[in-house]
Amino acid sequence: MAVSQATRAPRRPRRPRGPLAPYAFAGAAALYLVLFAGVPILKGVQLSVTDTQLINPNGGSSVGLDNYAALVGDEVFLRSVVTTIVYAFCTVAGSLLLGTVSAVVLNRAFPGRFLARAVAVMPWAVPTVAVVMVFRWIFNNDNGVANAGLSALGIGARGWLTDPSYGMPSVLVATVWKVTPFVMLVVLAALQAVPEELYEAARVDGAGMYSTFTTIVLPHLMPTLRIVGLLMTIWSFRRFEIIWLLTGGGPAGVTSTIVISVYEQAFGNSRLGFAAAIGVLGLLLSLAVTLVYFVIETRTERKNRVAA
Amino acid sequence: MPTITFNGISKSFGANTVIKEFTAQVPDKDFLVLLGPSGCGKSTMLRMIAGLTEITAGELRFDDRVVNDLSPKKRDIAFVFQSYALYPHMKVRANIAFPLVMDNHRWWHHLPVVGALARRAVLKRPDVAEKVDAVAAMLELTDYLDRRPRALSGGQRQRVALARSLIRDPAVYLLDEPLSNLDAKLRAQMRAAISALHARVRKTFVYVTHDQVEAMTMGTRIIVLNDGVVQQYGTPKEIYDRPANVFVATFIGSPPMNVFVAEATGDGLRVGDRLIPASREVAGRVAARGEAVIRMGVRAEKVTIHPADADVENAIEARVVNVEHLGAETVVGFTLRRDEGAGVVGAAATSGLFSARLAGEVPLSADTPCRVGFDLDTVTWFDHASGRRVEL
Amino acid sequence: MIARRNLGVGVRTLLATLLVILAGFPLYWILNTAITPKDTLYTGGQRLIPDVSRAGHLFSILVTDRSFLRWITNSTVVALGTTVTSLLMATLAAYALSRYRFFGKGIMGFGFFATQMLPEALLVVPLYSLFASLGMLNQLYGLVLANTAFAMPVATFILKAAMDAIPYEMEESARVDGCGALSILQIMVVPLIAPSMAAAAVIAFFDGWNEYLFATTFITDERKWTASTGLASFIGDFLIPLDTVFSGAFLFAVPAVVFFLVMQRRIVSGLTAGSVKG
Repeated sequence: MAVSQATRAPRRPRRPRGPLAPYAFAGAAALYLVLFAGVPILKGVQLSVTDTQLINPNGGSSVGLDNYAALVGDEVFLRSVVTTIVYAFCTVAGSLLLGTVSAVVLNRAFPGRFLARAVAVMPWAVPTVAVVMVFRWIFNNDNGVANAGLSALGIGARGWLTDPSYGMPSVLVATVWKVTPFVMLVVLAALQAVPEELYEAARVDGAGMYSTFTTIVLPHLMPTLRIVGLLMTIWSFRRFEIIWLLTGGGPAGVTSTIVISVYEQAFGNSRLGFAAAIGVLGLLLSLAVTLVYFVIETRTERKNRVAA
Repeated sequence: MPTITFNGISKSFGANTVIKEFTAQVPDKDFLVLLGPSGCGKSTMLRMIAGLTEITAGELRFDDRVVNDLSPKKRDIAFVFQSYALYPHMKVRANIAFPLVMDNHRWWHHLPVVGALARRAVLKRPDVAEKVDAVAAMLELTDYLDRRPRALSGGQRQRVALARSLIRDPAVYLLDEPLSNLDAKLRAQMRAAISALHARVRKTFVYVTHDQVEAMTMGTRIIVLNDGVVQQYGTPKEIYDRPANVFVATFIGSPPMNVFVAEATGDGLRVGDRLIPASREVAGRVAARGEAVIRMGVRAEKVTIHPADADVENAIEARVVNVEHLGAETVVGFTLRRDEGAGVVGAAATSGLFSARLAGEVPLSADTPCRVGFDLDTVTWFDHASGRRVEL
Repeated sequence: MIARRNLGVGVRTLLATLLVILAGFPLYWILNTAITPKDTLYTGGQRLIPDVSRAGHLFSILVTDRSFLRWITNSTVVALGTTVTSLLMATLAAYALSRYRFFGKGIMGFGFFATQMLPEALLVVPLYSLFASLGMLNQLYGLVLANTAFAMPVATFILKAAMDAIPYEMEESARVDGCGALSILQIMVVPLIAPSMAAAAVIAFFDGWNEYLFATTFITDERKWTASTGLASFIGDFLIPLDTVFSGAFLFAVPAVVFFLVMQRRIVSGLTAGSVKG
């Protein structure tokens, strides 16, 4: 593929119907995104420098950077940033680890693999609202199966969604359960691209399962894991529904991530301007991570090119 | 029906110029072959004729009409791609009829469903169906009309691509290495088939290939291209017998023409330290050009080879390097160097290697001395510095 | 060597079993809860193996709650609308991104990717005020418009990856045969990428189907609720029996699970190609 592209390289730049055609094709989508994502974001940025209230969303007067200034020293906000980072880190680490292990396990043939694979992807497809319902029921203090199981083992019941020390782990369990299949599917696809000869060569060299994985498979997976890691991170930063419906940010605010604070400030405390300021800072966090990713990616690419 | 005129055509991709100042005129109904090594710009040339690639500078005319800015469909052309570019989701019949379907395109065919039904209706029209059947019969595709391209062999796909180009009866047929994906036997058959087609439809064909056999057998005229520059434009016979320069001489012919570097001395022409017998008079004419060194081109079939001890006139000593027995003929590779013996491989073995093509079986074995002769009257002379052919 | 290989198979089977249990249990628990009588649920009597003869209770919400069907209908309308608008724009945009070089292409690609970063919780406020001023609150098409902003970029990545795989020569041949750019897209490209179109459609459909935040914020009229809003309203509502609620959860999840399973392979190849190249 690379070869044929190289020899045909001069033929690629072509404009079948004048320079306007691509704009005609892409115009609708671009305009749409500007209207329904770009403008609202700008509006959000604009809101963030006002004291707008929910009852009068178009009122509000400019307060300059007061909202941001207030956030800098705000302990609740700083805690939500830490919570977001902890939530994102654990989700990404957990789903990448479990997803990769599941993919490696399901990659080789064994009886019942088809069924196992089907079951393993299902959590991804289940609507979040349904996921929340079942996890709330599983984690129910009195009649939940989690506590029933613990009692049967002779361990006391836990307040999974009511005890501040278990709030975050419970949310993480539900989240990782829901998002791991995506990682697994993508890694499974990447595993197909590992040439069979490499496995054979490793076997000839007498490599065991573990060393085959670390020396052959993992290097092949790294580019995929990086991009999936990026997606998982920025998705974690904005994930709202599962946390909101499971704990509402509680108990005692331990699962209140940035987006939860945004929603709470906006619709709980009616402070739209203040909420927008939090949201903008959260977006900057995502942008920073994306930027770091692209810097690393370009650097690795350059290194690989030099090596080649 | 058009005469194609290239008037100073150039093509650049950024700073990279792939066609330089191309000027030529192709008479109507000719079979023009664009011949050259890969990367010489011949496909780009063809795509510019088709309107698939923009022309950077110069003028392309069909008769008196400048077509530089005309879209492909307005040029009345058909294009056969190297990969055939069949439409995989359409049956053979729909593939062949597609140009006719598009001739009947109306703006409302862009509507979903309605457009699809309208296109199907065109396909079923008696006049369209008749044309498809006729073209399919001509190319022996009648039995395959209801198949999809995926279910066809390479040769059949190739014929579908030809049928699709025939259906609209265009003024110019453009073919981009159409036979390069076929095996040798099929390629020979298709060469004849395309030639017959040209004779039958009597339209202008422009055919791109890197295969000199295709060029020599099919073309009425050949343009030899190298590095975006036209090397020679002429009939196959002219190009073979009177190559314009060393590049053409060594590109055409199998094995390629032998080119010796010779020096005129008072005793005659010298190639290395060998004096060519009876060459004093020729050497005089060479010296008269004001330059002692010249290149001599000798076609392999004009070279004769004799055993080392044979008593022949006008032969020089040489050494047989290899012998290829092809049945009806024998190709002998020889060198004029003394020190080259057995055991030399790779590039060193072929540099300074010349060839002779002899009729029948010749009892020679590799790595033995021999004597080589040729008639000085059959030599093509090239200027040493520029490589251009010169008359003595 | 053989012992080690057998050990490998053993470990693999063990891990696979564990995986299936972990992934499958909550799903199984939805079914289990839906067919367990509510009195049993509230007294801690739920069994690991339920009374299978009550399997009919999986559909109990259809009988006991009239509004559920209406919510499902609303969700279907929103999901179909999201699919149509997303795919229409995504097909055109993907073609431009796949086949042309143009000024602004890089910005556009980044903009499409950037939608993956936008928190709905931040967007929901300005969108709310926008929709309020346009009178689009409590309208299902308002949800369609909001969801499309998130579904369309993903669909574009999937379709662009598929279009990148179509050989140029085929399109050039179509041009010689008389196709304009729009005809090429309609007659050549779209039929050839039909599987990826289907995958993109499934993803867009369930973006609309599953979405909760916009639905719950923009729609206050209970008759226009989507199933996600309706079901979420059951959370913490003790008047609705839990087995009925789980019957709703089951019926809400089934279409998504079935479609994703069927389209799994296409979705993944589209997503990976799209995100890696995009």
